[in-house]
Amino acid sequence: MPRTPAPGGALLPTAAVTASGAALVLALLVAPEDAVQGPAQRLMYVHVPAAWVAYLAFAAVLVCSVAYLVRRDLRFDRCAQAAAELGIGLTALAIGLGMLWGRPVWGVWWTWDARLVTTTVLLLVYVAYLGVRRMADDPHVAARRSAAVGVVAFLNVPVVHFSVVWWRTLHQPPTVLGPEGSPPIDPVMAWALAAGVVAFTLLAVLVVRRRVAGLRAAGAEPAAVPPAAGAAPVITVVPGGGR
Amino acid sequence: MSGRRAGLQVRRPGTLRTVAVLVRRDARIALGGVDGFASVLPFVAAGVVLAGLVLGPDPAALRTTAPGLVWLLVLTAAVPLARLVAAAERDEDSWDMLRGLVPPGVLLLAKAVVLWGALAVTWSTGTLLAVLLLDGAVTVAGCAAAVLGLVGVAASLTVFGALLAASARGAGLLAALVLPAGLPALLAGTQAGVADEPWPWLALLVAYDLVAGATSWAVFPFLLEE
Repeated sequence: MPRTPAPGGALLPTAAVTASGAALVLALLVAPEDAVQGPAQRLMYVHVPAAWVAYLAFAAVLVCSVAYLVRRDLRFDRCAQAAAELGIGLTALAIGLGMLWGRPVWGVWWTWDARLVTTTVLLLVYVAYLGVRRMADDPHVAARRSAAVGVVAFLNVPVVHFSVVWWRTLHQPPTVLGPEGSPPIDPVMAWALAAGVVAFTLLAVLVVRRRVAGLRAAGAEPAAVPPAAGAAPVITVVPGGGR
Repeated sequence: MSGRRAGLQVRRPGTLRTVAVLVRRDARIALGGVDGFASVLPFVAAGVVLAGLVLGPDPAALRTTAPGLVWLLVLTAAVPLARLVAAAERDEDSWDMLRGLVPPGVLLLAKAVVLWGALAVTWSTGTLLAVLLLDGAVTVAGCAAAVLGLVGVAASLTVFGALLAASARGAGLLAALVLPAGLPALLAGTQAGVADEPWPWLALLVAYDLVAGATSWAVFPFLLEE
């Protein structure tokens, strides 16, 4: 049976690749070097988009979890799982890049700063969320439990974001999404950052879509269709193991 | 709520009465059972004593770390205390029956009240030991922070306790979920006890209680479906 093409076809991959190329050029060639931090500051063009898109992925976990609890449709559960996996990966990337940046700028790989600790805690919570998914064999039971945890776990996201506002920390306060209106950032740097965010968002959508398709295929259950009189039994595959 | 069947009037107990019955029964378990204070309070005492050994002997260092240490011990003790959510029902094999009879909101309230009491006793014991052994200080703001902060922790803990009651697997994950869920209480509770201006921290704890309470109330019924 021929595969149904994904909605949007090649548009999304093309857009993601184009945006990634533009972000790379802007970040490495066009944006000026930071006067104080030097070339290490260019890590910001990956570190910040990774962190923001991780927030976005965890928001998607929240939305899909609520949607599952309301609709009881395993498609939402698969989206939540895929978004959580992506969010974990991006959070780990943001922490890793932050450490690479912190060594030359702060002089240490790690410090007990509120932003760093709350981000690590966020990572642990969503790893535990994935663990909760394995606590039951029945897909709907696992989905229901993980959806409940997925809703509660999102409470950590605002704690991470506002940690640099609530506590006196070594980490700089939010530059773009800060309380004051206009961000104190060079316009070219802001464009490079925006391109990074767009590229990461498009790539994230692409990754989640592929992962959801993989989860759907992995969850497909063979279901027997009653054969017609005199005909051989026919086995079909029901994607997703039922709703 | 009442109904009439075959000439008999069946009257279901009110919310407060149901909560009182459940709280009284679970409080007995907390006081006497292996899931309650018998295991948690010695753990807290050992934690304070060992902290004195690790962080001491400088009295100033002990005094400074005492408030945060107590909150950390309370959150760590919250992990075994989560078993109180279904301890009585597990012994009687009545969890399925209870969740069928008692509305989820009432069950959440009763279980959260018991956990709040257990956490408050744990915090009070830890604070008393910190005052006696580590020269820690008790402030009115610190006590208010405990009263407020433990509400949010109890609400979240009830959800995770129900999750634990529904499955024999994955108990180890509880620590990774409970400790972060209590993070605002840990930080704001500690700061409120030592800051010159505790009001922002107390306001943060009220916000935490509202969010944790509302979220727990929203998701708790789904964990009772199995």
